[in-house]
Amino acid sequence: MASHAEITASLLAFQEGYNKNERLKIMNRDWDRVVLVQASDIPSQHTLELQNGELSVREGAPPRADLTVIADSETLADLFYGDITPTEPYMNGTLKIIGSEDDIVRLDFISLMIWGE
Amino acid sequence: MKRVVSVSLGSSRRDHRVEVELLGERFEISRRGTDGNFDRALELLKELDGKVDAIGLGGIDVYLYAGKTRYVVRDGKKLMDAVQKTPVVDGSGLKNTLERETVYYLREHTDLLPPGTRVLMVSAVDRFGMAEAFAELGCDLTFGDLIFAAGIPYPIRTVKELEELAARLLPEMSKLPFHMLYPTGKKQETQDEEKVKKFGHYYREAQVIAGDYHLVRRYMPRLDGQTIITNTTTADDVAFLKEKGAGCLVTTTPEFQGRSFGTNVMEAVLVALLQKPWEQITPRDYLDLLQRLDFKPRVVYLR
Repeated sequence: MASHAEITASLLAFQEGYNKNERLKIMNRDWDRVVLVQASDIPSQHTLELQNGELSVREGAPPRADLTVIADSETLADLFYGDITPTEPYMNGTLKIIGSEDDIVRLDFISLMIWGE
Repeated sequence: MKRVVSVSLGSSRRDHRVEVELLGERFEISRRGTDGNFDRALELLKELDGKVDAIGLGGIDVYLYAGKTRYVVRDGKKLMDAVQKTPVVDGSGLKNTLERETVYYLREHTDLLPPGTRVLMVSAVDRFGMAEAFAELGCDLTFGDLIFAAGIPYPIRTVKELEELAARLLPEMSKLPFHMLYPTGKKQETQDEEKVKKFGHYYREAQVIAGDYHLVRRYMPRLDGQTIITNTTTADDVAFLKEKGAGCLVTTTPEFQGRSFGTNVMEAVLVALLQKPWEQITPRDYLDLLQRLDFKPRVVYLR
């Protein structure tokens, strides 16, 4: 089990990876979305916000989310640190993403652009 | 009579059956759509296994190529693995030869593809041979793989960048359910109006639009005489393209009784003719056979 602080740290690593990738920022200029990241086994919520291609992270839930990402704390930390890709946990149900199919593909894409090989 | 059947995840409205003679052999070629129903496609494949001479898988790719790397689409492989006895192909082997040759043919025999032609390929990882041929002939390329499959307004301009992005994305994205990446079933009969509005300018800026017909159709805005290079078209498709303002239609596969079949069907026909295990067939085998069959791209002027 990961702690809330570990999930925060993983999201900050994700944000750092994102912000270093200028091409990814260009690719997401049109995609303004609010993402709620919620652990299923501990009380932990975070907000990822993409606006004009920039990604910000903050603790706590947003008033309204376009996408909700739910998984156990360990999976969330692994995912945002890039130790695992989202596809497998998404396909086996460990990771649930609530939102439009296009947005789910886009989120998968961002993660692979940051951590993929 | 040899029987070749294409099992497609696409709409059953496009189902078709023809009889033709090729190199002295009679062929019954048919297409059976399952309206996006994956389980129905699996059942049908099992039912046909061992009873026909070759099977084509349509409406889905099994193998995608970028450079020398081959990526396996998980859903496509599941379908392919359901067939144990009959040779089964997805068209990717033929795409790499026939579609490459189509581009060379157009340069040599028509005025549709002079150097510097602005070409939009709606998706290139499913027809990498064609993409490489356009690049080789000095076309000004836009690969729309990210734009249309993922909704990301990022035109890929070079084969090198396409390969780099494919290496990063495809090993994982190919594991997603295929319907998340490609229009299947009823989606093939409609247009994605939001994307037409948002990304239609990529079509209008191009002189040639190439790629999978279902993708080409799904995002097509009003055109102004552009050339469309694609594979599977029906009479309704030709009417659709005319109505949209396309200037010319080039199909890479030959026409049988008013209908050009998908590459998977044609590859299945060639496999049935070659009577060699698929894994032993080389691009040279296909090229030789295509020459003997005198297959040429079909060019139809729509204006």
